[in-house]
This record gives sequence, C-alpha cells and structure tokens, in this order.
Amino acid sequence: MRHRSALMTALIAGSALVVIAGCGSGSSPSGTSASSGPVHGGNLIFANPQDAQSMDESTVFDNNSIWILEQITQPLYTVSTNGKGVVPWLATGYTASANKLTYTFTLRPGVKFSTGQTMTSADVKFSLEQTMAAAAGWGYIDSAIKSVDDPTPSTVVINLKYPWAPLLADLSLFANGIVPNNYGGKTAAQFYQAPVGTGPFKWDYWHKGSALKLVKNTYYWQKGLPYLNSVTWTDVPSDNTRQLQVKGGQAQIDQFPSWSTVSTLKATPGVSMDLFNSTETNYLAFNENVKPFQDVHVRRAISLAINRQSIIKAVLFGNGKPANSLFPPQVPYYDPNTPGYQYNLAQAKAQMAQSTVPHGFTTTILIPAGNSDYATIATILQAELKPLGITVNVQTLDPNTANANFQSQKYDMSLTLWTMDIPDPDELATFGLDPKSGAKSFFTSYDNPTVVKDVHAAEQITAPSARQALYNTVQTDAAQDAFMAFLYYSPYPYVTTSNVHGFFVTPLGNYHMQNVWISK
Amino acid sequence: MGRMTFVFRRLLLLIPTVLGVTIITFFMIHLIPGDPARTILGIHATPRGIAILHRQWGLNRPLASQYWLFMDRLVHGNLGISLFYNVPVVGLITSHLPPTLWLICYAAVLAIIISVPLAMIAASRKDGVRDHIVRAVPLLGLGMPAFWLALILQTTLAVKFQLFPVSGYGTGIGGHLHSMFLPALVVAIALCPVVIRSLRASMLNVLGADFVTTARAKGVPGSRLFVRHVLRNAVIPAVTVLGINIGFLIGGTLIVEQVFQIPGIGSLMINSIFSRDFPVVQAVALVFGIMVVLVNLLTDVIYASLDPRVRFDR
Repeated sequence: MRHRSALMTALIAGSALVVIAGCGSGSSPSGTSASSGPVHGGNLIFANPQDAQSMDESTVFDNNSIWILEQITQPLYTVSTNGKGVVPWLATGYTASANKLTYTFTLRPGVKFSTGQTMTSADVKFSLEQTMAAAAGWGYIDSAIKSVDDPTPSTVVINLKYPWAPLLADLSLFANGIVPNNYGGKTAAQFYQAPVGTGPFKWDYWHKGSALKLVKNTYYWQKGLPYLNSVTWTDVPSDNTRQLQVKGGQAQIDQFPSWSTVSTLKATPGVSMDLFNSTETNYLAFNENVKPFQDVHVRRAISLAINRQSIIKAVLFGNGKPANSLFPPQVPYYDPNTPGYQYNLAQAKAQMAQSTVPHGFTTTILIPAGNSDYATIATILQAELKPLGITVNVQTLDPNTANANFQSQKYDMSLTLWTMDIPDPDELATFGLDPKSGAKSFFTSYDNPTVVKDVHAAEQITAPSARQALYNTVQTDAAQDAFMAFLYYSPYPYVTTSNVHGFFVTPLGNYHMQNVWISK
Repeated sequence: MGRMTFVFRRLLLLIPTVLGVTIITFFMIHLIPGDPARTILGIHATPRGIAILHRQWGLNRPLASQYWLFMDRLVHGNLGISLFYNVPVVGLITSHLPPTLWLICYAAVLAIIISVPLAMIAASRKDGVRDHIVRAVPLLGLGMPAFWLALILQTTLAVKFQLFPVSGYGTGIGGHLHSMFLPALVVAIALCPVVIRSLRASMLNVLGADFVTTARAKGVPGSRLFVRHVLRNAVIPAVTVLGINIGFLIGGTLIVEQVFQIPGIGSLMINSIFSRDFPVVQAVALVFGIMVVLVNLLTDVIYASLDPRVRFDR
C-alpha cells in the first residue's frame, strides 16, 4: 500500500503548481466609487475587437487605427459632439475671399508637438501637402485644394481650384492632422513607426497584434488635460473575453460588445452600457449590371418586401432604427422626410407585377464568411422575398474575396455599410451616387444624371439653405430609384467600468480620450 | 550511428521540408482569390490605388518571379515586409512566437503533472472504481469545446474569485506563469485523456513484466517500484503520444489564443490569411514546418534516451 503515498506526493506536487500559479500578481477589482470631480492619473485599458493597422494618416482607412491616431495628431478643425459640424481645433478661425477660392486660417498660439517644438504654418503646409499627394490614400479628400501657403508662422492660406463647400469638414478629417514639417527629419516610413503630433497623448509602443500604448503629452495645449497617464488599446477579438475583462477589472472600456449581451450589460452592476448615436448605415446593394436589377420595379419590390424591424430585432436585438435615406440622421442635410421604401408586401407585389419578371426569378446574395449578422439578414431576406417569387441563394465567401467580388461587381445582391468620415454628406453622396467616381455608385452602377448633377452642385454652393434643398432632392430621387434598399441605422455600443467618466463617442466614431478620467 | 550524426541527418531533412512548405504555401495562398490591396484600402479601393500598392509590393510581377524573389530573400535571412503592418516579418515572428511556445510548453508540463498521477492511480487498481473514473472523467476534457471550457474557467477563477487574469500573456516569468495558467490548463485538459490512456495501458503492460514481479519479490517498496521501475518503462510510449500531439498543437492553439488574448503565432497566421498578408503567411508556415520537424526530432531523441534499446540508425 506504500505506493499510495507516492501517488499522493505526485498529486500534491501538481496541486502546488496550481496554487503557485494562482498566487502570482493577482488582479484586483476596479473601484467603483464615484468622485466629486475629474481626477488626474490612472492607466486605462481599452479592449478593441481588432488591432490597429497603420499609423500613417495619409493612407490608413481602418477605423481602429484612425480613432487611436486621433489622440496623437490633430487637424485644424474637429467634428462637433453632435457630428453635424466642426469646431476650431489647431486653428482659431478663418476668413474667406469673396469668390470663395482663398481661405486664410489663423493658427492657435502656443500649440506644441509632443517633442516640445512649437507648431507653425510650415508644419501645416507640409502636412496638408503630404495628404494631397497620397494617390492611394486620402488624397481625393483634398482634391479641391490647389495649393497651401504659409505667409507667416501663424497664418495658413489654402487656395482652391473651385469653390468647395465641404472644405472645413474635409480639414477636420484625421488625415489632415498636423505633423512636424519634413517629418522632423525622418522618412515617412520611419516617422509613422512612432508618429509625433500635438494631441493629448504621445507614442509609447505598439506590439503588433497585442497592444498599443500612448502616454500623456506634457506639452499638450489644453491646460490640465489629459487626465489619464496612459491609454493602452489591446487587441481582444473575442466578444466574451472583452466583456469578461471589463467585468473582471482587467480593462475599462469594451469596444463593440455583442448585440445579444446589450440588455444584460445594461442591468449589470459595476459597468455602464452606452449606445452612442452613429452614422453607421446598412444597405442591400443591387448590381445594376446584372439582370433584372436594372429594372426599378424589381428594386422597389425588394425594398418594399423587407421588414426592417424584424432585421433590427434579430440582428441588433432591437437597438437600431429602420433607414429611410441614403444619409444617416447624424449627417448634416439629412432629410427625415425622405420617402425611403418601408415594409409593405401588397405594394411590393404590385411593383413586382409591373416589372420585367412578374413571376419572380432566382438570384444570389453575397455575404462574407464569419459575419453572423449578415448571415442572419440573408436568411431573413430569403424568407421575405419568397412571396414575390424570388429565390435567393446565399453565397458565402471569405471576407477578403467577398469584398473583392463586391468591388469588382461580381455579385447580384450584397450587404454593405457606410460610416461617415467627415461631418458633411459630400463624401457619401459622391461615393454612393456618382457612377464615374471610383466606387461606381457604391459598386451598383446606379446612374441617374439628375442626381449626379445635384450632388456636384451641392459641393460648390456654400449657402446652407441651398445645399439643404439640393440634398433633399438627391435623397428623394435616390430613395425613389431604390438603387439600394436602405436597411437600418445602428448605434455604436460601448461598455465601460463604472469608474470611467467623460467617455463620449461622436456619431463619426471618434472619441477624445483627453476628457476621460478614472475615479478612485 | 551516434546521436549527433542522427540529429545532424534529421536536421538536413529540414531543407527539403522547408522547400516543400514554401512552394505549397506560396502557390496556395496566391491561388485563393482576394487581394491585400483591397484589405488595406477597404471600401475606398480604386483601380489606381490598387495598382499603386501592387507595384509597391511587387505583386504586379509574374508568380514565378515573386517566388524567386521570396526564396532569394529567404536564403539571405530576410522574410520580407508585412503588407498589412508595413514592418519586417522577422520582427512579427519573433514577437509572436514566444507566447505560443510558452503556451505549448506550459500546457505540456501541466498535462504531465495531471496525467502521471492519474494514470498511476488508474493502473494501480485495474478495472476498479478509480480506474473507471480516471478513464472516463478526462474524456470529458476531450469532448468539451476549448472556448466553452475557457469561458467557464474565466468566469469562475478569473472574474468571480479573481485568482487569475481573465486573459493576457503577462510580463516576466512570474507574470507568464500566472497569466498563462488558465489557457495552458485548457490546452492540457484536451491533451490529458490521450496521455492518461496511453500511460495507463503501458503501466499495466509493465506491471505484468517479469522484472516487476522480481522487484516485488525482492521487497522493493510500492512507491519506489512505481516511480523507478514501472513509470520509467511505461513513459516511453506516452512521450511519443505527447510529442505527436504537441506537433498538432503548434498552430492549433488558435482558439485558445483568441479567447485568452494571447498574441501568439496562430492568431498571427489566421489574421494574415484573412488580410492576404502573403509574406507573413509564408513565413509563419515556414516556422510551423521547422517547429514540427524539431519537435519530432526532440521526441525521438528523448525516446532513445529513455530506452537504451532504441538505436539511432533506425
């Protein structure tokens, strides 16, 4: 029987390792007591579902990268909290010439880069010219700019090729953030490995696929800000893990929790579940190069057959709104009266009867693999289009291939979405409605010359009332043509621990971490 | 043949293995539709933007020319530049490999710590109650999905009792041991049933051997008999089983890495495939190939060291 004692020894040894491992640097729960006012200090962990991609402001299109980069570099203007306008940021104001071709900006005094060097007009000129030259990046956003001059260290002159109403909105884009002249003596590639800006935080490190950390910029021009000592964005792809990290106090912010958990999280003590207004709009695109989608009656019939509430209930668990326009409500010049088609099966059948395929047809819907929301929508659409005699086959491809096929217009129908980059509808209107733009009317080949004319007219008229009238017409025409089925508007869900204060996301998705603080 | 000659010959086999891995990986990843330029540019991709990036990355050249360039760089120790991150691939590999190695080694150690005593308990009373329990219960570990088990451990041990971090890799050896305990345990629990069964079967075999009967007759104490005579002889097949499973684990720890936010090489591989980051996919496949060969080699060497009857010329 003595071998039993040896077995016990082995078991005890095994258990010991478990205990030793468990007694390491244990995490402590985050405090939840509220404080009377903002306090300085603290290191915040921001759990993101995916890693950043690049910090090169003139070429990066990935939102996660952009929202982090905005804590380092800042533009002359920034988007207002309601997402519908701009407020002065590194500029204090501007004057425009009578012909609206020359804008003179006054720079904010006392702004320094995180290196301690003062920002001047030479830095602004250099920064804008780098973005203007980025042919494979954001160059198109500055395509109306002819030249940039720096007559005095505190004055910047922007000369336009033609009057351009969205200029201030374009300048508020992160890609027009100000970096040191000549990249501070580095090459662009070297500079963007650890970018320098005027923002509230400065570079610390980026362990690719793991974490990116920024620390407080002590030269920041807004006195007393930021409150936090550092912010670390961690790459946590699993929804469950992000949520558990916040519940366990290992992270303070969870970006985009799963929709299925929103109602539970609202009732969970110790955390705050916020749904911020966003510009995210989801659409069903029709490829007009494929029969029978050239037929407006077919497109209208499908748009009318979709019960948007059922999609919102199934995908967003009720946390969204049916879309009625190409534009989301948080965009300037959105028209709430736009007659975007809503669910009406009788009218859908009537439209189908007037179409070239009154008895229905067979088609496919393209969705990317791994996107459970889109898979759910596709299943709903299969059922909802059946009464019209439309048989929908679901084509699931890996995300990269699905994206390539969508952009190459190798599809019949496809689910897609848009989020605004600037607080002006021009970018979306051109992208979505001009078949001669790079995006070929959101990759649908939709071509309505009246709409195209109005879209470009709205670019060059600066009077807000005149622009509103044009955009109302554009939204109405696009809705009546049903070139896409406008599905739903979705908010941005975020979970924060209860001791995090001042966190706010604008409808464009960006946030100012300078205002965030952690109570003791 | 001496041990060193054997090891050298096996290492030479790395060359055709690596060559085969590079050819298969290179051409297969290029066969899949999709374009890294579209990943980078997203919905803003234009034909001009795509063409600029293709030219910049050399993707406008013929495939054979691209492969030749890849091999030319490889023999000079250069794995290229990541298309997604725009940083040297070597840096990405060296930063992502240690967490995976930690996870595998930690899991292997835990698997041994759990399996050996349990196998001994089971073998000490063949067909008894504890034998049946030990044979049946660990099978649950094999059947449980890793993500589910991970979630249960995170919810209880990390969130409720706060014994471990919910996820992460930790810093320093203590930090790694602490942070990686739960993920290593999840991997180990999946490994244990196979190792326990193999070890138990071997022990029962050895227990019936003449030299064990002789040792018992000579009055060797039970614990010494089990540890010095039975276990040492029974562990040999288990080493092979463990080695083969570790070979599978390399690159197969993806789910555990994702759930526990471990920045390992499995996650890097999957993300790179999705973004069509060709240089990274090729480099990671290369590393996987080399690691599997090395683990198999190590298994053979350990096997031969434990069993002097095994010769290196076989």
